[in-house]
Amino acid sequence: MKQNEQPEKATRRVRKVEDPKARHQRHEAMEALKMLDALRHDFSKPLSSMDYFYELFEKVYCRREKLHSAKPMVGTLCIQIPYEIIYAMDAVPVRLCNGFHTNEQSGGEFMPAKSCSLVKATLGMLKQEDIPGVDKLDYLVHPTTCDQKTKSISMVEEIGYDVYHMEFPRVKESEESREYWRRTIRKFTKDLSKDLGRKINRRSLKSAIQKVGKAQLAYHRLNELRKLKSVPILGKDIFLITNAFFFDDIERWTEMTLAVCSEAEARVKEGTSAAGKRSPRILYTGSPPIFPNLKLPYMIEQADGVIVADESCSANRLFNDMVSVDEWFMYDMVDAVADRYLKGCTCPIFTKNDDRKRRLKELIESYNVDGVVYQSFAGCQVYEMEQRSIQQQMEALGIPMLYVETDYSPGQGGQLSTRIEAFMESLKVKNRRKQEG
Amino acid sequence: MMINKIFQKIQKADIRKFRFWIQLFLFVIFVYGGYVAIDVGREIPVFSCGYDREAGGVCYFMSLQHQLARPWERLFSGASLGVLSAFGVFILWFIVFNKAWCGYACPLGTMQDWITALRKRLGIPYSTYSEESFKSLKKIKYIFLLIVLLFPLLIGAGLLDPEWRGAFCKMCPGRLITPMFVGDFSQWSIDFSSKTAIFLTTFGIAFTVVFFVGSFIKKRFFCFFCPMSAMHYIFSPFALLKLKKDGEKCTKCGDCYRVCDMQIWDIADDVKSRDILRDDCIFCLKCVAACPEEDALQVDIVKWAIFKSTKGGFAKRMGFEDETE
Repeated sequence: MKQNEQPEKATRRVRKVEDPKARHQRHEAMEALKMLDALRHDFSKPLSSMDYFYELFEKVYCRREKLHSAKPMVGTLCIQIPYEIIYAMDAVPVRLCNGFHTNEQSGGEFMPAKSCSLVKATLGMLKQEDIPGVDKLDYLVHPTTCDQKTKSISMVEEIGYDVYHMEFPRVKESEESREYWRRTIRKFTKDLSKDLGRKINRRSLKSAIQKVGKAQLAYHRLNELRKLKSVPILGKDIFLITNAFFFDDIERWTEMTLAVCSEAEARVKEGTSAAGKRSPRILYTGSPPIFPNLKLPYMIEQADGVIVADESCSANRLFNDMVSVDEWFMYDMVDAVADRYLKGCTCPIFTKNDDRKRRLKELIESYNVDGVVYQSFAGCQVYEMEQRSIQQQMEALGIPMLYVETDYSPGQGGQLSTRIEAFMESLKVKNRRKQEG
Repeated sequence: MMINKIFQKIQKADIRKFRFWIQLFLFVIFVYGGYVAIDVGREIPVFSCGYDREAGGVCYFMSLQHQLARPWERLFSGASLGVLSAFGVFILWFIVFNKAWCGYACPLGTMQDWITALRKRLGIPYSTYSEESFKSLKKIKYIFLLIVLLFPLLIGAGLLDPEWRGAFCKMCPGRLITPMFVGDFSQWSIDFSSKTAIFLTTFGIAFTVVFFVGSFIKKRFFCFFCPMSAMHYIFSPFALLKLKKDGEKCTKCGDCYRVCDMQIWDIADDVKSRDILRDDCIFCLKCVAACPEEDALQVDIVKWAIFKSTKGGFAKRMGFEDETE
C-alpha cells in the first residue's frame, strides 16, 4: 500500500544541483520582478507610457536580454564619468552601480561588513561576471570619489578586471581642483580613444553633447510637472525612468521620456492627479535609490506621500547641470564637459557642502515641499556625517525631516514602513493645522 | 500679451549675432563717422581715438588729460566750468549703458573680438591666466588710470615736465591702430624730439604689438589693462543698466565663468552679491546667455528686466532644442 510506495518515491526525488550562476540569475529575476510588479500594480491610475520602462527592466533583469550589442561597452562606476566623451566615440556608457540584495550578499562575502550596500552590491555583481543588459564589458572606469569606491578599485582588479583609474578631486572650490579635473578628463579622452581604437572629433563630440543635453532637457520638462499643485506622475516612476538612463539607448530613452511627458501633460490638462489631494509633498535626498532597491520611494508613496523632487545621484544629479561651450572645438568642449561633472556636483564627498544645502533649499521652495526624507545606506559615511548639518538646516527652514538608515535587505520592511507612515501622518496633521489657521 | 511674446523672443535670441551687428555698426560710426559728418562729441566713454581724423566721437581721456593739464590757478577757477560740463556729459553717456560700452561699443574691444574670431577660424586654442597672475595683472589698469589723472595735474602744478602731456594717449595702442582704418599710418613712428617722447612713443609701439599678439591668444587681452574700464567701475554703481545675480538660483556649475572672456571668477562663485558687475566686466552678456538656470542672471534697466537667463534660451543657443520647437 502507501507505506510501501514511500521509499520508492524518495529515491526518485533526486534534485539537480543548480548552477550558481543560474541560481544567482534566478534570484535577481525574482527580486526584479517583485519590485516591478509592486511598482506597476500597487498604484492606481498608471501612466501607459510607463510600460516601456517596466518592460525594459523586465527584459534586462528577468529575461536577461542584451541591449546594444554591436557597440563597445564602457562600464562606469560613478556619476562622474562623462557620458559625452563615451558617446562621442560611439561607445555606450553603462552605469554599473547596483541595487540588488542578491548582489549585496555576494559582495558581502569578501567585503567588510560595514561597507555601503551600493558598493557591496556592485562588487558582488562584478564578481558574478554577469552584467545584466550587457554582453561583455570592453572597458571599466572607476573614479576616486568616495573612500569606498576608491578602495574598491583594487578589489575589482583582484576579481580580474582591468580598471581605468580616474582621479577625482575632493575639494571643488579651488582653481587647482578645476584644473586637476580638466586634466583628468583630457587624459581620459585620449586614453579611451586609444584603448578602444575609436576616434573622437569635434563633430562627434558636439553631437554627443547635444544628445546628452536633449536627454537632460526631457528630464527637466518632466520635472516641471512635479512643481504643479496636482502632480501627474509619482516619484517611483521618475526613479525608474532615471534608473533606465544607466543602461538604455540614450536616444530611445529621450524619446520614451518625452512620451511620458506628453501623457503627464495631458493629465494635467484633464486635471487628474497621481496623488491624493492631501498627499504630503516629499523631497527625497541621500543615498541613491537604484533598481530594484526602490523600497523607500515605494513605501513613501504607498503611505500616501508623493515624491515631488529628489537630490540624489541616481536621478536629479544625473541631469541637473548642463554643458556650456564657448568655442565648438575639442580644446573647449572637453574642458566644458569636465566642468559639468565637478562644479555643480552636490555629492557629500566634498570637503564643504554648501552647494548641497543651497540645492535642497531651492528644491523645497520651487517644488513646494512639505517634508524631507533623507536616506543613508548603513556604512555610507559621507551621507551619515552630513545628516546633522542638513537636519539643522531643515530645522531652520521649518521643514520636517525623516532620517532613515537602510541597506538592501528586504527584512527591514515592516519597521521602516511604520516609521514612514507615521511621518506622512504627521505631515498631514501639520498641513491641516496650517490650513485651519 | 504682445509685450510678453516679444520678451520671450528676446530671451531666446542669439546674443552673439546681435552683438556682432551692434559692434560693427558702432565701429563704423566711431571710426568712419567723420566722413558723413557724424560727431557725437569728445566725451565718449570708450577708446574711440581722436588721432583718427575721421572719428565720429572721441575718447573722453583725450580731452580729460588736456583739460586737467591746465595751470592750477585756471583749473580751480570759474574757467573750468567747461571741464565740469564735459565730465557731466561723460557721466551721462556712461550711466545709461554702464560697461556695455566695452562689450558693444568700444572700437578697440570690437577689434579684439575680430582677432578672436580669426583665431577661432584657425582652430587655435585660447589661453587663460592662472588665478595668481589674474589677481596681480588686474591691478595694472588702475596704474594706467593714475597716469591718466595724475600726470596732467602734476603738469598743471608745474611738478612734471610738459613733455608728459597726454602721456597715456601716446602709450595707448588705440592711437596707432585706429587711424590705420582710415589709411593713416603716421602714428607708427618714434618721436625723437626728447627722451620722454622717445620713451612714450616706443612704449606705444611695443604695447600695440603686444595688443595684437595678446588678443590673438587671449580673449579681450587689452581690456584687462584698460584704464577706461577702471574709470567705469568707479561710477558703475550709479548706472541704469545693471547685471544682477540671484545666488539662490545659482548651482555654481560655472557655465558662465567658462564663457567669460574676462575670466571673472565671481560670476559663478559669488552667490551672495546681487550686483555681480565686477571691474573687469565688459558687459557682453555671454554669461547670461550661457546660464541654464531660470532667472539666475539678469540684466535690468533701472528695475525692469530686459534679458534673463532661461533654460529654453540656453538650450536653443546650445543646439539642444530642435529648430522646429
